[in-house]
Amino acid sequence: MVEGRNPVCVLHTFPVTAVVRVGDLKVSFGSVVAVAGVSFEVRAGGATALLGRNGAGKSTTMRVLAGVVPASSGLAEVAGIDVAADPLEAKRRIGYCPDVGGLIPRATPWEHLQLSARLRGLRDWEPRARQLLDQFDLGGEAHRVTAGFSHGMGRRMSVALAVFHEPPVLLLDEPFDGVDPTGVDATLEAVADARARGAAVILSTHLRDLAVQACDHAVVLRGGLAVASVDATEMAGEGGARAYRALLG
Amino acid sequence: MPTGRSSADVGRHPGPATSLALLLGLRARGLRTPARVAVVVGVALLVAVTVVSATLPSQVGLAPELVEAMRRYLPVGFLAFVVTTATAVLFGGGGREAIAADQVVAYPLGPTTDHLAGLVLAPLNLAWLLQAWSLLAAVAVLTQGGHTWAAVVPVLLWLVAVTVAVQWLSWVVEYVRRGPHGELVVRTTAVLVGLTIVVVVATGHLLDAALWTPAAWASSLPAMGAAGDWLNWLFGCLLLLAAALGMAILGVGAARVTWTRPATTQARVETRRYAMRAFPRSDLRALVAVDRASVWRSAPLRRGLVLLSLLPVVVAFAGRLDWLMVPVLPGLVASGGALLFGVNAWALDARGAVWRESLPVAPRTVLVARAWVLVEVLTVASVATLLICGWRAGPPTSAELSAALCATAAIALRTVASGLRWSVRRPFSVDLRSVRATPAPPLVMVGYSARLAVAATLTGLVFSVVGRLFPWWYSVVLAVVLCATSVFSLWWTGRLWERPSVRSRVVETVASV
Repeated sequence: MVEGRNPVCVLHTFPVTAVVRVGDLKVSFGSVVAVAGVSFEVRAGGATALLGRNGAGKSTTMRVLAGVVPASSGLAEVAGIDVAADPLEAKRRIGYCPDVGGLIPRATPWEHLQLSARLRGLRDWEPRARQLLDQFDLGGEAHRVTAGFSHGMGRRMSVALAVFHEPPVLLLDEPFDGVDPTGVDATLEAVADARARGAAVILSTHLRDLAVQACDHAVVLRGGLAVASVDATEMAGEGGARAYRALLG
Repeated sequence: MPTGRSSADVGRHPGPATSLALLLGLRARGLRTPARVAVVVGVALLVAVTVVSATLPSQVGLAPELVEAMRRYLPVGFLAFVVTTATAVLFGGGGREAIAADQVVAYPLGPTTDHLAGLVLAPLNLAWLLQAWSLLAAVAVLTQGGHTWAAVVPVLLWLVAVTVAVQWLSWVVEYVRRGPHGELVVRTTAVLVGLTIVVVVATGHLLDAALWTPAAWASSLPAMGAAGDWLNWLFGCLLLLAAALGMAILGVGAARVTWTRPATTQARVETRRYAMRAFPRSDLRALVAVDRASVWRSAPLRRGLVLLSLLPVVVAFAGRLDWLMVPVLPGLVASGGALLFGVNAWALDARGAVWRESLPVAPRTVLVARAWVLVEVLTVASVATLLICGWRAGPPTSAELSAALCATAAIALRTVASGLRWSVRRPFSVDLRSVRATPAPPLVMVGYSARLAVAATLTGLVFSVVGRLFPWWYSVVLAVVLCATSVFSLWWTGRLWERPSVRSRVVETVASV
């Protein structure tokens, strides 16, 4: 696959080690503080799990990095580009699977992929699209509107869309939510492929075991703040479960 | 083995009326203070206009010929109320919902509550309100010098009885539609009924037909009340009341049996396989293709578009038109088109809005694509109306033709500008999946439709006068000025839409369905 419009979007040209940089990020919605000052970095080929309870600020942080929600203050940088300063260029470098739905209800999976290919200037995208649909077991549903999809099918399709253009930054928000074991395997494979290409992956989930399996690092959020930034293996097993529960408070 | 009482055993389950009150209360509590004030003001305004309609016209002196014509055609007015109310409710597949079905699945709500909600919310429809006010005003004029209150009571009872009967009919139709070959049966019946109405109107037998319906009898009751013919008046009122109560009970039964059949209309759309489209040659074309599909694959929008396409036909057979009226009608039809989705245009994306916002495309291109699809819908509707109206009105002068064309363009553009401005400033979380869905809450829809209709009518009338009194190029100049203000409004909306905070608010709202 060739990037038609955006030839700079080739991983080995990135001059920085940290592909994602989040510094003292704050996001408020009126009087509600969703993110109260989060900082972390993700290097090329690395995968960071965002863990925490509901309302901890994981999805909002993801949305800021995806250019969907503007930050109130702080830094959000993807592939060397400040998301606030140049959101369009930042969006070219990310692949985003939102936490809710993420699919246009009356468009088919193929139309989603076609729209993404057009707006990202991809050429020769159809073999890659077919391969992804097969990988996520959606080959037979490519021309049905997504409104009729089950929750798990929708999640799988959202992950396929996020990895479709092989972005240098992959943002997966709750990709395992309601997904069957085959879909989980496909998602883990997609994450591994992205890391092997040198992409930086951020993955938010409540499934700690899968987070440990997919990621090499974990950031635990609580009340909009990062309360721990540890090696993912420290969250593994019984000991990891106890440590995680202690961090959740 | 005996067990202790669980929390579910304690207390009585609320009845349908209480459940409906709780649902409406839930909606009211979700409103912020300005919105609550707007609701109170809106309801007070509706009541005030109703009272004024029922009383003020009795103080106005009209020409005797006009009063006689009103007296003659009063049965047609009563019958027209039945037709428009039935059309609105039948296309809505069971009438309005207090809260979208997918939001109340967690609560033990039954078909009776659903039926009551449809009845209570039915008047929140501009077509219903305008016809009700027209009937009240006509009766007030025709019963001058008599007992006005006694004339008004049967009109109100007629409005209630018809609304209740139509709600029952809508459940019956929906039941048939959900059954075997239901869609075919309903469509065939609708076409036959529509053709019958067209033939009756086109052959000039509308008045004769109206006199054969209960509308003629009901329209005679106000005169009885005003003249003090108390026995017949009381009998008529009690009969209307009994009919309303009877139809309400039948409606509950019809709602119950309809609930036993799953909705199939949207399921058909969602299980179809759609052919692959050619790769779009530009970003704008790609966005337009997806937006256009979102409109045509939505059950409520498809039904709305069908209704919209029928309006010009109704206009065509409503009687011979004067070119003075031609500039008004296409604009009114365009307003109806905007009410399908244009007043909350981003709701087309629903939960997909978040993913779409993460795509690398200029916000202005996204706005232009949405505006383009809205223009397509409005253009088809208003141009069809213009052509049919023009045909019925006979050969125009150059000034009249210019006025009609310019009015159509100016009002359509104004409608697009207003719709997109409201969409950006005041988005609503709506799933346009159910055939009963509307793009905004009922009272808000009344406000939107009133504003669009008033603007379209006034603008059309101005063009009518200009077309009658001035050379053709006056209309062109006026249209250029009006279109310039609409373009400025669109540009301003574009500026708003380019702000990340505004887009974020819109996206978060429409995605929270």
